[in-house]
Amino acid sequence: MRALVIDDSSTTRMILRRMLGEIGFDDISDATNGQEGLDSLIAGPTPEVVLVDWNMPVMDGYEFVKAVRAKPEYDNTPLMLVTTETELDRIVAALEAGANEYVMKPFTRDVIEEKLALLGLESH
Amino acid sequence: MAQDLGESQGQLPEEVNEFLVESHENLDRLDRDLVALEADPMDKERLSSIFRTIHTIKGTCGFLGFQKLESVTHVGENLLSKLRDGELILNPAITDALLAMVDAVREMLARIESTASDGEVTYPELIARLTEAAAGSLSGTVAVAPVLAAAPADEPTKVEPVVDNPSQSEALAPPVVATSDLASKVAAADAAKEPIEAKSVISDSSVRVDVGLLDRLMNLVGELVLARNQILQHTAGEANSALVATTQRLNLITSELQEGVMKTRMQPIGTIWSKFPRVVRDLSQSLSKHVRLELEGKETELDRTIIEAIKDPLTHLVRNSVDHGIEMPEIRSANSKPDEGILTLSAYHEGGYVNIEVIDDGAGIDPLKLKAKAIEKGLITVEQASKMSDREVQHLIFMPGFSTAEKVTNVSGRGVGMDVVKTNIERIGGSIEVNSELGKGSTFKIRIPLTLAIIPALIIKSAGERFAIPQVSLVELVRLEAEQAKVDIDAVDGAPVCRLRGHLLPLVKLSEVLKLESELVEDEGATNIVVLQADHRQFGLVVDHVVDTEEIVVKPLGKQIKSVNTFAGATIMGDGRVALILDVMGVAKAGHVVSESLDSRSGSVSESRGDYVADKEALLLLGLGHSARVAVPLASVDRLEEFETDSLEWAGSQPVVQYRNGIMPLLWLASALGVDAGDASDSKLQVVVHSSLGRSVGIVVGSILDITEEQVTLDPYGSRDAIRGSAVIQGKVTDVVDLTPLVEAVVGELVGVGVIE
Amino acid sequence: MNIGNALAVGENEHEVSLKVQQYCTFFLGDLYLGVAVEDVQEVIRQQEMTPVPLSSPLVKGIVNLRGQIVTALDLRHRFGMSAYEKPPMNIVIRADDGPVSLLVDEIGDVVELDQSSYEATPETVDKLSAELVTGVFKLQGKLLLVLGLDKAIQFSEAA
Repeated sequence: MRALVIDDSSTTRMILRRMLGEIGFDDISDATNGQEGLDSLIAGPTPEVVLVDWNMPVMDGYEFVKAVRAKPEYDNTPLMLVTTETELDRIVAALEAGANEYVMKPFTRDVIEEKLALLGLESH
Repeated sequence: MAQDLGESQGQLPEEVNEFLVESHENLDRLDRDLVALEADPMDKERLSSIFRTIHTIKGTCGFLGFQKLESVTHVGENLLSKLRDGELILNPAITDALLAMVDAVREMLARIESTASDGEVTYPELIARLTEAAAGSLSGTVAVAPVLAAAPADEPTKVEPVVDNPSQSEALAPPVVATSDLASKVAAADAAKEPIEAKSVISDSSVRVDVGLLDRLMNLVGELVLARNQILQHTAGEANSALVATTQRLNLITSELQEGVMKTRMQPIGTIWSKFPRVVRDLSQSLSKHVRLELEGKETELDRTIIEAIKDPLTHLVRNSVDHGIEMPEIRSANSKPDEGILTLSAYHEGGYVNIEVIDDGAGIDPLKLKAKAIEKGLITVEQASKMSDREVQHLIFMPGFSTAEKVTNVSGRGVGMDVVKTNIERIGGSIEVNSELGKGSTFKIRIPLTLAIIPALIIKSAGERFAIPQVSLVELVRLEAEQAKVDIDAVDGAPVCRLRGHLLPLVKLSEVLKLESELVEDEGATNIVVLQADHRQFGLVVDHVVDTEEIVVKPLGKQIKSVNTFAGATIMGDGRVALILDVMGVAKAGHVVSESLDSRSGSVSESRGDYVADKEALLLLGLGHSARVAVPLASVDRLEEFETDSLEWAGSQPVVQYRNGIMPLLWLASALGVDAGDASDSKLQVVVHSSLGRSVGIVVGSILDITEEQVTLDPYGSRDAIRGSAVIQGKVTDVVDLTPLVEAVVGELVGVGVIE
Repeated sequence: MNIGNALAVGENEHEVSLKVQQYCTFFLGDLYLGVAVEDVQEVIRQQEMTPVPLSSPLVKGIVNLRGQIVTALDLRHRFGMSAYEKPPMNIVIRADDGPVSLLVDEIGDVVELDQSSYEATPETVDKLSAELVTGVFKLQGKLLLVLGLDKAIQFSEAA
């Protein structure tokens, strides 16, 4: 299973990679901001899910979601927003823009697993 | 509870480590951003960046279970979000609070690094302060002054951590500083990020590499260079063209690889500069000074070992400039300077070197005050002081014991003196000099090699042994054939000297300095002189053979030989044997061509009591007439010249010669000293050129006898003006003449009658 | 003589008592000396040595040990003996800050000795040697002096 992790924090990327790996993703790529994520998405094979941080330099999560949803070829690619409780008000905006799910930091692997299941992505 | 969460999620050491690296990196940027923000409080982009940094730390803390850190960054994030959204406007009080938060975060990170936990310190005061600031009550404070005045002068923004659990307080008390390993990782990562920040679009194609790995690679490349050198040597006379071609390829690839690996170890100097905005801000605040820091050439790259080595000296220089260089605002405005002082750090490449300048537009160094201070401290005598040029005086600040005594612990002091700065820089093969103009400011210029590991060197032989001389010290190679050597080298016993294009070059025989049994090939008779630069002096090193130039890998010497300061290290030659690398400065000192600098003189001052005994001094021994001999300090001799008697002209009653597109007045030393000149039947005039008051005067002497090094005893009853003292030279008491008063008298007179302007 | 074999034998004996210590032995003039095998990195034949002018007379020179510069110490001089009569052997010691080579006349065997027979240096050993020796083992017919490495390697410039 393929996943794309977009987060400007290298620690968060590392943690997400570990959790996704434990869940059963064997091909995880990452990017440090929305623009990079978008480039990576377009360049590589389409992932099963994209986890995208909200607050990032260059292009934030919201802009990323809008940009992806503007491309019909990714209509079926679930986008999961990674946020914190201080950004609650923005979740709605993101969901309206086309994000499929969200998780709030800090989360455990179980939370991710549950949310992925909601998106129809079962772990092995 | 937070700990539980962390453990239940299997908080991994590598994730914590990543967090530490990432956070240190972010905090360094944050320091810069906050200081920059003070200048432009409305800078939206910076505010977002600062917010994001704290937000990220806070967000990640949750995963790792660092609850204390989370709560501090949480209130900080709140405050920052208000600033970002324009609900609050940054003022110095808020900046202070935020900087205090950054300090607290650093402290907790250090704790995490050493104990894997963020500890028990909860920082209630800081949290209160940040909350207050977020509520807008701190922002109402018009001036920061009262806050600062109440705080101890040296640490205005220090927040006392409060400890929950007193029993643990002792263990937690000393703030743990990040290990250098981590620090350099951080620096490396920072370096990698710099260009991205600047362009802020291009994707990050860099990776983090363990510096230990880079060091190992560098060592391997060093070995490869050696093997390459060996192969080159073996194939030197090879006829097999395929082998020769392959060797050439190997040669090229090795060079490229070496260059590539060296580049991986390069870091922009900005990695250490990033801390300075904060340093300057804190320091100038505590001193109530206004200082603007300008950084030029922060992308200039240096080997990371050197970056590490210059960090402390550079910090000291910066602190020193803010503390001693830049004046208080009122003094500045009284001298019609802008209130705000400017401190510029500038770095640029030049040859195989990097120059780093610390420039302030402050008060400059007052040579008179400096002299007075040095005399008061017993570092120099009044006599010495009177003979020092302004430039020499300025360099007094690098003398041991000069800058440490005053305000030791306070600001720039910290118990470290400029002498330590100088020593540290010289230890890595660099040099430092100061240039100061009273009232205008000072510039400290550091010059350091780009890398320490592999250097181009000249290989020479002396007494059958090979030695390597770093090419950075090499000025030129001179080979004098036997006949020529007889003319150009004045080698009586004592110190030999060579005439080189009118200059007198002191010579040092390497075999003598190293006490080797020279097998100098007398039959060939040629003399090989390697002209070297040591400090501000040049000298000629006489060697048996000049072999070749080669890239050598510098290897350290064992501690049993480290104290031999004529050697800087060793290297392995193409044949596998070891050759020693000469320390040019050390050789110069051992050969007495540079004095052991002023520091050694200081020791003898106290013993001398009145009749001052100087260290040995290089003297030019001159013959006047039949038997009279005098000596002049070699340092006062610009050049030695010979003029045909025919070229003598007269300007009024003043004898002159045409010299270097100008007219140079001549002065007969014998008559000036009232000595019988004897017959002046020679068709040539031997002239010692001395400059004073910006003019050159030629001093006509009978003959130039020798250069020698003697102890000069100053005559306290100095009967004649121009006689400085006497020295026992080759068994005879000889007057040592001070040329300056003689020449100044002539120049003064000539200016008076309009012979010269 | 063959230190490699001797070491291999030692490693194969699994039931080495804690009290037993292996010593790499060597000869220096009339003295029979030993250092703990753990302190020995390797033993090499005389290397091409580069003298270091102006250094202590105890420094015989520096050698290239696979790319590393190793200082070779004149142990005979250290013990107040005359110069080496034949090319010396290098016993490369693992010191705290890198290897150091001790030049000795000849290499002996690796011996395994019971620590209980370790004794203080007897009065009969001359004063200079006694300073460099931490203790002795009385063996059949000869005395094995255990070299104090710290003293042998470190010396003041004046020495």
